[in-house]
Amino acid sequence: MSFSRIVMLLASASLCACASTTTIDDYRPTTELIEIQSHEKVAVLGRRDAGHYETDTGFIECLGNQLDGSHFDVVPEQAFIDALYPWFEPRTAPKGIKRLRNLMSDPVVKAKVAQENIRYLVWLDGEVESAGHAGTMSCGIGPTGGGCFGYASWDKNVFFEAVVWDLADLTEEARIRVDSEGTSYVIGIVAPIPLLSPVKSQACEGMGAKLRSYFAKEVG
Amino acid sequence: MLVAGAMLTGCATSASVTVDTNRFPTVVSQPRDISAAIVMDHEFRNFQALPLEKVDITFGAAQVDLWTKAFDGLFDDVQIVNSKAEAPPGTDLVIIPSVQEVQLSTPNQSYLNVYEVWIKYRLDIETADGVPIDSWFLPAYGKTPDSVMLSRTRAIEGATVVALRDAGAKLLLDFYRIPAVHVWIEQRQQVGP
Repeated sequence: MSFSRIVMLLASASLCACASTTTIDDYRPTTELIEIQSHEKVAVLGRRDAGHYETDTGFIECLGNQLDGSHFDVVPEQAFIDALYPWFEPRTAPKGIKRLRNLMSDPVVKAKVAQENIRYLVWLDGEVESAGHAGTMSCGIGPTGGGCFGYASWDKNVFFEAVVWDLADLTEEARIRVDSEGTSYVIGIVAPIPLLSPVKSQACEGMGAKLRSYFAKEVG
Repeated sequence: MLVAGAMLTGCATSASVTVDTNRFPTVVSQPRDISAAIVMDHEFRNFQALPLEKVDITFGAAQVDLWTKAFDGLFDDVQIVNSKAEAPPGTDLVIIPSVQEVQLSTPNQSYLNVYEVWIKYRLDIETADGVPIDSWFLPAYGKTPDSVMLSRTRAIEGATVVALRDAGAKLLLDFYRIPAVHVWIEQRQQVGP
């Protein structure tokens, strides 16, 4: 393989690797902005009740960081779960608004939520899947040095759904679904060169921007 | 030799895990006007499970911490005692928790990228006079989100902490739903404490 062909392969792979497709669907019962006072907080939680996967903790943190730049504070997931123990454990966490209303009818739980100033809850559910592995890469080491040669690729699909609950009015405020897919490559020319598709970060940024756009800038 | 030694150590499957105390938050719950003595004997306080060959998990102190906080959310007055004989006067209920079984599943066994822990508790519930109300089995489950970047010891400890938290959650969710306990409370309300 000539040097120019290798350079062309690298360049085209780099361009392809950066490409990913992200789709965001959302639903809101109203077009009005969600009101939040400056002292009120938002908690971002991941669903843990599915048997075969848990919502990606990296994505939960990423979305929390995306929202944390807003005029309201974001409560870290574990801090929220600990503050309301044991009502948001995998066994006990409410899965729907009806169960949330039941839970919040307990005056002790309601008082604790008010004490912590937590107004909105963002439930995240989803996962990152890898599929379509292709190509081969061989790495070796000898007396004069080592290296890799070959090419490998795989597809990454990300889907997450966020549901926003109002803990004061006990209503569902919004529902957003984000799907992102892209292909990552590793090219081995002596050293392995990873060209990773940023599907997860793009999904996180897209969902974060959408969520931020729902909240009114400042009230009261 | 150093490399060979490191490789052998790296492949070793033994683990000795101690779960720290103070890993459990206080519970958010309105306790009922009941006085209970919780019997935690020496074995319970120093409990060590041997779920696999060469793997031991010590969580006696941790489970004392968890159960103390969980029972504080159920009853207005909770006394932790070493034996039934130490239950103070005026006690309504005596509860004796014990560990029946502990199971551990590792990625080597399950081919999943998680560590899982199951703990089966038994709670013997009696009146202060020693009349049995019920023996309640309480299964709890915990797992790590994934075991990537976690040492074997930390992963097993993490899964055990999640299982203990699950036990506390189940206790608070289901204790007053136990039919025999429900009947005992109704009778107590009719007769008066």
